[in-house]
Amino acid sequence: MKRFISFPWRSSERIAREVDEELAYHLEARANALLATGLSSHEARRQAEREFGDVAATRDYLNRLDRKTNATRHRRDYLGDLRQDVRYAFRTLRRSPGFALTAVVTLALGIGANVAIFTIVNAVLLRPLPFPRPETLYKVWSHNAKDGMPQAGVSAVDLDDFRAQRRVLEELGGFWYASGGSGIDLVGRGEPQRLSAVFTTAGFYGALGVRPEVGRVPREDELVRGGRDRVVMLTYDFWMREFGGDRRIVGQSVTLGAEPYEVLGVLPRGLAFPARDVDVFVPYSTIPDGSIPRLRMVRNLDVVARARPGVGMRQVQAELNAIAARLSREYPENAAWGATRVKPLREAITGDVRTGLLVLLGAVAFVLLIACVNVASLLLARASVRGREIAVRLSLGAVGGRLVRQLMTESLVLAGLGGAAGVLLAVAGVRALRTLGAQQWPLGADASIDGAVLAFAFGVTIATGLLFGIVPALRSSRSDLQRDLRAGGRGVAGDRAMGLRNSLVVAEVALAMILVVGGGVMTRSFLELLAVDPGFRSDHAVVFNYTLSTERHSDYVPVYTGILDRVRAIPGVEAAASIKDAPLRGVGEIAGFRLPGMTIPAGQEGPTAAILHVSDGIFRTLGTPIKAGREFLPTDRGDAPLVLVVNEAFERRWFPGERALGKTVIAGGRVRAEIVGVVGDIRQRSMAEEAVPTMYIHVPQNGRVRMNLVVRTRGEPLAMVPLVREAIRSVDRQQAIGSVFTLDDARHDAVARPRLLMVLMAGFGVLGLSLGALGLYGVLAYLVNLRQREIGVRLALGADRRRVLRMVVGQGVQLAGVGVVLGLAGSLALGRLLAGVLYGVDPADPILLALVALTMLAVAFASSWFPARRAASVDPAVTLRED
Amino acid sequence: MARDPMELMQGTLDVLILRTLAWGTMHGYAVSRWIRERTGGTIDIEDAPLYKALHRLEGGGYVEAEWGLSENNRRARYYRLTPAGRRQLTHEEAAWRRYAEAVFRVLEPAT
Repeated sequence: MKRFISFPWRSSERIAREVDEELAYHLEARANALLATGLSSHEARRQAEREFGDVAATRDYLNRLDRKTNATRHRRDYLGDLRQDVRYAFRTLRRSPGFALTAVVTLALGIGANVAIFTIVNAVLLRPLPFPRPETLYKVWSHNAKDGMPQAGVSAVDLDDFRAQRRVLEELGGFWYASGGSGIDLVGRGEPQRLSAVFTTAGFYGALGVRPEVGRVPREDELVRGGRDRVVMLTYDFWMREFGGDRRIVGQSVTLGAEPYEVLGVLPRGLAFPARDVDVFVPYSTIPDGSIPRLRMVRNLDVVARARPGVGMRQVQAELNAIAARLSREYPENAAWGATRVKPLREAITGDVRTGLLVLLGAVAFVLLIACVNVASLLLARASVRGREIAVRLSLGAVGGRLVRQLMTESLVLAGLGGAAGVLLAVAGVRALRTLGAQQWPLGADASIDGAVLAFAFGVTIATGLLFGIVPALRSSRSDLQRDLRAGGRGVAGDRAMGLRNSLVVAEVALAMILVVGGGVMTRSFLELLAVDPGFRSDHAVVFNYTLSTERHSDYVPVYTGILDRVRAIPGVEAAASIKDAPLRGVGEIAGFRLPGMTIPAGQEGPTAAILHVSDGIFRTLGTPIKAGREFLPTDRGDAPLVLVVNEAFERRWFPGERALGKTVIAGGRVRAEIVGVVGDIRQRSMAEEAVPTMYIHVPQNGRVRMNLVVRTRGEPLAMVPLVREAIRSVDRQQAIGSVFTLDDARHDAVARPRLLMVLMAGFGVLGLSLGALGLYGVLAYLVNLRQREIGVRLALGADRRRVLRMVVGQGVQLAGVGVVLGLAGSLALGRLLAGVLYGVDPADPILLALVALTMLAVAFASSWFPARRAASVDPAVTLRED
Repeated sequence: MARDPMELMQGTLDVLILRTLAWGTMHGYAVSRWIRERTGGTIDIEDAPLYKALHRLEGGGYVEAEWGLSENNRRARYYRLTPAGRRQLTHEEAAWRRYAEAVFRVLEPAT
């Protein structure tokens, strides 16, 4: 009996055909046998059918049955194959642990970096804000194009008009919050405490739609002047910390400043808006005009707005612009403020980190691509070595498609292992990022590996496996049987296979180059930032933040001078002085002024500058150079003529080419003040932003009660903290002290975000470079292996060993060169994206690009050197004998 | 007839087929002839249920089928016992013997 090849799965047509054939065979065979007993052919046929039974019904039954069997077997075979493939994949990988480990580690790094960064992106940019219908929330700014203030705060007076005239807006409200700046003292519960407070206007709670955890939010009449506005909302964390989560606190009274406030409720847990470290929310109406005057030109509020359902951003913008334009026609101080700027709230919160995060996401995507290229090239090299195994399997009847599936399974198993290890890496990575960067990314403290992140990890893993697996798999299954069998175990590099591998190397070098440029540019930018002179000496200086009470002291000046005197008398204190906003922590107030002889057309606003209230000796304490004249002296008292100190930015802006010293400025409408000193510029906003034109005013001449007491110490600054606290309390027992920090801290914090970005980008750059170098090395080493025989022949024929060396190294560097050219083009494109997060660096800096290109070529050279050395040390006798 | 003959036959037929195929690979017609000869016509078996049983056994993995060339050089579907089929045969045979013995014990006159 001969056999036909049997196929595991049959089509239904084929089943029907075969059933017919089987039954026909039976009937015919029976009929033939009956013929031999002497029946006529017709009778024999009838007899056979009778013995059989119902042929038609049986045929149907068999058809149905076989189709079902076929389907079951199909499914079972598929799963069986898969199981077999997976088992086979694991076995193959175990047989070459070096390859498996390299591939899995490479993939784990690539996937882990992606998952970690995506976790942050998910928390910051993707998860919904903790408010109902967050897509209808917007942030609103006043806009003044003329004076370059495109996104200023909104004045409380304007806000009332916005609220009164709104139509497409469901609600809008404002709040005043300054980190370390806006606060209120909690007294009567042990030591007085300085609480971090947000001051909210009417409409604030309505716009955000906040549902309290306990109690209720303030009503409209509890947020306006003349209403019952002595009410306070607690944040969840503060409620837990101060009141142990006691619900009975609602309805009770606490003393803030010097007045009793009723606790209305507790805000929901995890509401980190506008910042995480807020303790209480208090009505803005409780701030007296003496602290923040209700003037249209005092634009200090952050405003959030909620659009009515179905209203888009364009309509919101149009409505607010129309109102702003009306106000600008009506009020001279609003003349240049006839427009607003509107952004979706999420964008406003995450706006300045968005670019940085997307750049990071791009960088890790590149790392993963490089990892993919590496593993693909490893697989290609292996496929060639395994060429014989595959050829044998093909010749033994393995079907091409089945083989592709088996190789793809191997890739997916690799990717799966890499992905699993990557997620573990990401868990550690996210923990580190949260520690490093929670303060730097709004909402970043909530970053955690959740379902969305795992889905992302899974998707990336599968995509990675397909990406690096498909090309080698397809190539292998089409391998040339005869050639591979003949070539024995050594494998052969066809021209096309080599071309493919070369393009992988080129791609790898290009990607790595872009990453390294990114890391390099970021590092340079950070170094530039560190090199910036902030205008003060940050070492040996500690700052105490407090606000003098105007309720307890009708005249606060004696308290103010008393504290300065006591602190200055502490042994170990070199100097002490106060300033309203510490350097890098705020620019004070913006105020209008006039120069003599300057006429301001009616209906127009005059020039403005920042005003910072300071004590005597502040510049000496900060270590800021006095360029001309003097700083304030204790003798510049309230009853003495008003004098000013200005910074150099002010001099450059308002007295270009002249000396500001001795000039007169008209402040507050009509008070003439002489400029008695010019000092160096201090960066008040951030390290990256230059000092704004600033006028300094002596506190006793124009009172402000918010102080940042800067204490310069001989020794360790933090060691002085208890003594300074005691000195302050000795003047006023009830004086609360807010934050205490060193100027080094302030400087450190000011560059924390760029530092984080720099560390990550540089890290990804190094990772990309290492993976790229590894890939290049792998390909060249493999190439040398393949050409060993050719090289042996050349050497035998008298070729110079140095020439062989040059040939191999040349090939590596040549490939890298093409990659570098492509990388350059990519880097230039990347530079435009990076511009937003860079400081003082041109992303297309030719020197930097040239340096990186040289580095890449040097790495390529080194990667080629070792394989080349091996090639050159080939012993022709040995290689030639091998066959 | 009150009882469905198919129902009655099914288990019996299966074990007969398995037993037959235990002798060697054969096509459906040969199985049919073999059983008829062995039973000496005592049991009248139709071919329709035989084929149904063969395909059912194939679906259950007890036999596998393969096309081959018959004695007279025609394509025929050959059936072969699988290891699972062999195990099933041993099992069913034992069950049948126990059943038959029990029945005989009742039928034989008490001594």
